[in-house]
Amino acid sequence: MKKTTIRLRKNLLASSIIMLLSSGVALAKSDDMHQIYQDNCASCHGSDHGGYLAPALNAATLKGRSPTALRTIVMAGSFDTLMPPFYGKLSDDEIRGVIKHLQETPKQPNPAWTIDDMKKSLKVYVKDESTLPAKPTFQIDDKFENLIGVAARGKYGRGEGSKAIFINSATHQKVGEVATGTAAHIIDFNPANPRWAYVKTDTAEIFKVDLYSMKAVRSIKTGWNGPGMGVSRDGKYIMAGSFVPHNAVILDAETLEPLKTFELEGIDPDGKHVSSDSGMIIGTPYADIFAIALENAGQVWVVDYKKEGFPVTKIEKVGRHLHDAFLTHGGKKLMIASYDDSIVAAIDLEKRELIKQLPAGCVPHVGGGSAVVVDGRTLGFGTNFGDCDKTVVSVWDLDKMEVVKQVPVSGGTESPAAHANAPYVAVDIISKDRRARTVQLIDKKTLEVAKTLDVGGHAYFPEYSADGKFLYISAGYNGDEVVVYDSNSLQKVASIPMESPAGIFSRGRVKYMTRGLSPDEMEQHK
Amino acid sequence: MKIARYSAAMLATMLVAGNAQAVSLYVGQYKAGMVCAQCHGIRMPSADAPFPPLGGRDPEYLKTAIKQYRDKTRKSDIMNAIAGSLTDSEIADIAAYYGSVKP
Repeated sequence: MKKTTIRLRKNLLASSIIMLLSSGVALAKSDDMHQIYQDNCASCHGSDHGGYLAPALNAATLKGRSPTALRTIVMAGSFDTLMPPFYGKLSDDEIRGVIKHLQETPKQPNPAWTIDDMKKSLKVYVKDESTLPAKPTFQIDDKFENLIGVAARGKYGRGEGSKAIFINSATHQKVGEVATGTAAHIIDFNPANPRWAYVKTDTAEIFKVDLYSMKAVRSIKTGWNGPGMGVSRDGKYIMAGSFVPHNAVILDAETLEPLKTFELEGIDPDGKHVSSDSGMIIGTPYADIFAIALENAGQVWVVDYKKEGFPVTKIEKVGRHLHDAFLTHGGKKLMIASYDDSIVAAIDLEKRELIKQLPAGCVPHVGGGSAVVVDGRTLGFGTNFGDCDKTVVSVWDLDKMEVVKQVPVSGGTESPAAHANAPYVAVDIISKDRRARTVQLIDKKTLEVAKTLDVGGHAYFPEYSADGKFLYISAGYNGDEVVVYDSNSLQKVASIPMESPAGIFSRGRVKYMTRGLSPDEMEQHK
Repeated sequence: MKIARYSAAMLATMLVAGNAQAVSLYVGQYKAGMVCAQCHGIRMPSADAPFPPLGGRDPEYLKTAIKQYRDKTRKSDIMNAIAGSLTDSEIADIAAYYGSVKP
């Protein structure tokens, strides 16, 4: 490897200087290796070495693994995963050094990130927001509904490729992009004011984005890792939760200043007191509340953000290892996936209690969830990504809260997309072989797979445009594009290149709450 | 079993596609995705990556370069190892596919 091929990016500058200084000497010190881990690996593998999107890397998990084999993975990357090749980005000494460091380092205790750390991390990019344009500075419909945001992770999960990219779904043209430093994961739109969006990264920074000028105006780091974020129905509050450390915070949505933090812990369904990762967080159009899932504690907390001190109501014994969820019944009910007991739990947010646990495959992962009305019944769709025989998409009657059908699909699935005006519910097949290129389409009426799209790359996170006319799909890693299909003819109509696109978020979501429902549905429940 | 059925479906699609050019592009795309894209990307490598882009390059040039890496007349630890695993027809498919990609 030629030294000249190494690009000295800002975030690598420090470690590169260390490398130059120490070249010729033995391996760099453990402190330097810790920094290399934090700067290159931690956004996916977890700042505490406990794993996050990617496996845990510590003395216990890497015990007995061959350093040579690990070095090969670090150098060349791992096929059909997000793991990129670090050949040419890290020197051979650094790669050897970081592997040695990881095989000697135990998982770290929950590293602190306090409300004071958050306050200090607040950055203001646009001081006077009155200087921002009064209208969008690009072509888009008057209602500003045709906007779609894509979380482009970037090959390395950080750097120049990591952005939130915004597209006009009527023309399929890119209308703006906001650099996020590390991989963007979630994009939420402000339900009360169309100009604001919030982008959360895998390193738990939240960017407040002005969509009219496509500029980040502020950012704050809310933790070390974790995608959980929700916006209140009045657009005034954001709640964010972390995997590392185990806490959550309520922010002022205007200034991003932190107002209160919550330590996530409680008694799990097996009676053990545990400290817990944050799962999904959701604001509902039905009330002035946030719901947050405590993954390991198996609890859902309901937080009243309009009440003094942000009081919490705890719903216990919801399930083992909770993750993501979607709303139904005008936002009064929450369907939440529980990995370890293979169920989706229905929660009544009005009564603040568990209604029922429904079968949901083997490892249910509902993504953004979907619900559609067919012949008077409201049907919910739940994907399931377990590596098991039950590769089904579960369909529930959301009024009766019972299983209607478990639709066999060709592999594990991660996120369903639906739209009131589109005939199919799209599910992404993520099983790690050629199937990963595909998305299957379930006919809403027959509840059977009607067609398989060969999107390419690692196709995932389908999303319909706000009018339902187009289906957007990320071709993911190895695809490096978002592919657009006509929702009815299923002909490919456009491709938008970007680096490692993942989640796709239509601004239509604020209008129909859960994908697949029509805005009229929302009105009925008011 | 499911995989086998799926592969059969894929094969059928390939046969239906008919002419030799289309088949080689499809195989090239699959092979490029498996072997090359991890570093070089499909259209272009990562903005942060130190690897040259392959999308849109002259297929003849790509073929020559990959074969030089394969027979080690052009030296690079990692490229010698990776190109060493490719057959002539795979190299031709990959070169044709990358040549067809708009960067």
